[in-house]
Amino acid sequence: MTPSRQPSGNVGRKLKCQMRRLTGAALCCVAMSAQAQTPVFEIEIREHLFYPSELKIPAGQKVKLVIHNRDATPEEFESYELNREKVIIGNTQGVVFIGPLKPGEYPFFGEFNPKTAQGKVIVE
Amino acid sequence: MIRTCGILCAAGGRVSFLLAGLLTGGLVSIPTYADNLLHHNGVGRVYDPYVLPLERELELRTYYQTDDDPFESDILRQRVGFGAAINERVFAELYLIGMKMPGRAMRLQSYELESKIQLTEQGEYAADWGLLVEYERERSESVAEFATTLLVSRQWGNWVGTVNLGVEYEFGSNIRNEFDSFMSAQWRLRYRESLEPGIEIYADEFTRGIGPVLTGLVRGSGNQKWHWEAGIIVPANDTTPDYTYRVLLEYEF
Repeated sequence: MTPSRQPSGNVGRKLKCQMRRLTGAALCCVAMSAQAQTPVFEIEIREHLFYPSELKIPAGQKVKLVIHNRDATPEEFESYELNREKVIIGNTQGVVFIGPLKPGEYPFFGEFNPKTAQGKVIVE
Repeated sequence: MIRTCGILCAAGGRVSFLLAGLLTGGLVSIPTYADNLLHHNGVGRVYDPYVLPLERELELRTYYQTDDDPFESDILRQRVGFGAAINERVFAELYLIGMKMPGRAMRLQSYELESKIQLTEQGEYAADWGLLVEYERERSESVAEFATTLLVSRQWGNWVGTVNLGVEYEFGSNIRNEFDSFMSAQWRLRYRESLEPGIEIYADEFTRGIGPVLTGLVRGSGNQKWHWEAGIIVPANDTTPDYTYRVLLEYEF
């Protein structure tokens, strides 16, 4: 092993730094790619109501619902038709993955306030 | 649940290839010579991998078995549990487990603490994953068990398939210390919320059982719910009771 074949200290550090950047960029691309594959839709819970109460999503594709509970009390996003139930503590947010679904209407409701918190996912 | 519900009568060794067996989806215990467990029944329940924060529940499970062997017939087992979600991913439940032999009174047999951990978000991946950790101890004998079970569930349209694969370690001065494995599975039709028919399979060192099950959910006021299950498991080998009737009732609040 000859000294001339070894990178100097500075060159070695630069190589390591570039490798870290490349790795970071690659991971970022993978994350963005994964996110790009799953469309994100947002729903808010305010004063025990869902906004929007009707959410249109594409058929045959998995989607990610981010549900923001703006109330101080917990709420449960529930739907037998979607086969999902998710409790969202007050002033936090929860994630629900649904689909791929066939075209149609899939009702959901808030289990803690079922008379007011109602909505539906419209798949088209 | 402790699979050794009675006394280990015969001494004997067994060869168990636990991990390899689990990876191939098979049961791993290979008896090398006669094991003989009294009143053993591996029928339990099939767990889904989901946890709901803030959820609390009271649970009652009943198992009644009949068999052409009168010594293994007319046996009633019951377990009563209280559980609560600790956080968004972990649910813990404490059980008292009783057993009633023919002509005798119901007797508290053991205690169990179990914890269910939801590992993935429902629907995020091709299958949903969870983990169940259980510790059970006999009340009057030095027999205990520690078990870890992988919970996997997947939905295909209106059908839901759930598989539980577990490994347990039994230990104590009144039992031969050993590893065992067990499996249970459920294939269920989401017909309507109050009624979902399905089929269940149970298998462990001695048990091979299969049978129909009905499950459902009845809503009360607010967030109160009643979840129920009822099934009949029939044997697929000689060491499983002829009929095991199982009923489960959970009050969630």
